[in-house]
Amino acid sequence: MRRREFTLLMAPSLLVMVGLLVVPLVRTIQWSFQKVQYGTPGEFIGLKNYSQALSDPRFGRAVLFTLLLTVVVTVAILVLGYLVATGMNGLGKLRPVVLGAMLVAYVLPNVVGAVSFSWLVDENFGGVVNYVIHALTGADVLWFTETWPNRILLIAHTVWHLLPFSMLMILAGLQGVPAELREAAKIDGATAWTTHRYVIIPTIRGVLGFVCLITIMDVLRTFDSLIPLSPQADAIGNESIMLYVFDVAFRNGSQQLGLGSAINVLSILLILACLFPFIRGLLKEAKAKA
Amino acid sequence: MQFPRHLRAGIAALTIAASVAGVTACGAGSRTGAQNATAVECDYTMPKESTTVNVLAYNSSAIDPFTNTMVKSCTRDKVTLKHDPIDFGGQVTKTTATLAGDTGSYDIIETYGFVVPGFAANGGIVPLDDYVAKYKDKYKLDALSSQMREAMSYNGKLYGLPMQAQMFILAYRKDVFDKLGLKPPTTFAEMIAAAQTIQAQGGIKYPIALPWNATADITTSYQAAMNSYGTDFLDRSGKPQFTSDASRKALEGLKSLLPYMDPQVTTFDQPKVQQQMFNGTAAMAIMFSGRMNDLTIPTNTKLANDFAFAAPPAVAAGAPYLYSRLSVDGWSIPKNTKLDKDMLFQMIASSVSEDASKAAVPAAYPARSGMVGDNSSKYATAANGTIGKTMPTPGNPAAAPVTNAIRPVLVQIITGKVDVEAGMQQMQALAEKAAAGN
Repeated sequence: MRRREFTLLMAPSLLVMVGLLVVPLVRTIQWSFQKVQYGTPGEFIGLKNYSQALSDPRFGRAVLFTLLLTVVVTVAILVLGYLVATGMNGLGKLRPVVLGAMLVAYVLPNVVGAVSFSWLVDENFGGVVNYVIHALTGADVLWFTETWPNRILLIAHTVWHLLPFSMLMILAGLQGVPAELREAAKIDGATAWTTHRYVIIPTIRGVLGFVCLITIMDVLRTFDSLIPLSPQADAIGNESIMLYVFDVAFRNGSQQLGLGSAINVLSILLILACLFPFIRGLLKEAKAKA
Repeated sequence: MQFPRHLRAGIAALTIAASVAGVTACGAGSRTGAQNATAVECDYTMPKESTTVNVLAYNSSAIDPFTNTMVKSCTRDKVTLKHDPIDFGGQVTKTTATLAGDTGSYDIIETYGFVVPGFAANGGIVPLDDYVAKYKDKYKLDALSSQMREAMSYNGKLYGLPMQAQMFILAYRKDVFDKLGLKPPTTFAEMIAAAQTIQAQGGIKYPIALPWNATADITTSYQAAMNSYGTDFLDRSGKPQFTSDASRKALEGLKSLLPYMDPQVTTFDQPKVQQQMFNGTAAMAIMFSGRMNDLTIPTNTKLANDFAFAAPPAVAAGAPYLYSRLSVDGWSIPKNTKLDKDMLFQMIASSVSEDASKAAVPAAYPARSGMVGDNSSKYATAANGTIGKTMPTPGNPAAAPVTNAIRPVLVQIITGKVDVEAGMQQMQALAEKAAAGN
């Protein structure tokens, strides 16, 4: 490819990336050292925003909750995604229908899905799950005001929302496993479990790493689903980092843009730390293939 | 990674479905309702250039009639009024952004009494007194309620032309009350007694429904309870009042209702409280008047004809005011608009004209006096009875930041995680810090 063609093809993407990624990132870092309000130039205040963020117990709670949500959801998605994809791989003509039905959860805008999900446990809007639990155990679960029931609700919703995409990726990976490998394992006397453990999973390791990467990124950014599913998230320790940033920087006319930026920078560092092993693994694999 | 044919088909179907959903959503978002609005006289001097007037106003059944009337009546020739649908939270964020700096995105903004002092003190919106004096005869502006004009004023100047007000109203199940021989409560103690009777004999587990969501709802309710004792969050000098006797009594009064409400009440906003009433899972609800019309519509609930309305109770017998807040909405003109402010004022004046105000009833309680008679709606008598017994609260620029600052502690007090005395001290400290601008 000539240099001119390369430049022409690359320029639009580069422009978008600089405009929508680099500039906001640089501005966020700059603001994190300033006291900023709308329409006024920032005033340099050193590390004050960082010290304020790090000394706020609410930030600590948000980080812990977000990490907990990320770990549990990622593990659940990997396990369930693999199991469902394996089952789906064995389906015949019904596969496209089941696949299409499952993907509805992923297509729905997150907040719409979350509102619908909340109705399952909200007696004002049906609360089917509550009726079932009450009929079976006689207990009334306070899904929105008790910390752990609310966490279970949030985890269930996040898994429900993200599982279809992960399952789709894993299914594509499973279909890329050569039939000869499976047959060889069978001839060698491998059981179903050992075939999965020692043949299929190692073969699709790259896909599983990619699913992990995407899931971690998605869950660390959890925000809008908390509005309907955890209306008093802060009070019960179920506030995500992104909701905390929104609350500090924007909600109710707040203008703490500098503090919000500092929390964002800290969040970016946290996200990078969480993703580092996966990015390194993917890069190594790509290098080995090259 | 290769995608087999059925996967590609699935993804294609998904893309089509998402596109259709997206297009449908776009269509829904572009509706303003202005086509069916009332047309009124909007007689401003036509500018020489083509002009777009951007209007920022959240969508609600009480605000929409005024917005739609303005958009329909004032759009002509070279002038186009543009109003995009937005929710209340979005309006709050956009208002803050547009009023900052030398240029803004909006030329007319919807404001309310709670935020007017802050915007006025910062110089974000312009005083309207000169325009009112100039156009008072043309638009009969003297008929706008003095109480509501006061609510939209700061330091003796009018910064928002009032359009409508909302006050708390008690909605109750008349069939249940009649059956059990109950009368609408006039104090919290009577409300509790009625709730106990309904729990015991009426088959409703949680008879009281109040919007105590851990957002602005909970602070508004606490403020209403303090107001019942004649005290506001800040006194006239701007000093926080969270350790006052009225604050203690208000908190204790609110907490005394908890056993008769759904245990998840701190997640209930007004639509959820409406839903409780629709479903018949509550027998009494106190909400802003703008929510009452929905209760009277038979397509919303089969109980529509069973609801009756009354003034809300006072927190205690002998309290000077009712458990209520008066929230006045109006129109303001940003200082940084580049358009002719005289033209903009005539637009907002036309939207609160006599014809426009009449058309807004019963969904709204217009600021124009005499619009709401006792027969205007099922809850008109209750609204008229409440408005005079609601504590007038002078605005203070620190009110909004103070209210935001105390909210997390207030939630902890109501949910029992912090006791009343300790919570009052914490709220006072937070409020003093917020009032000082830190």
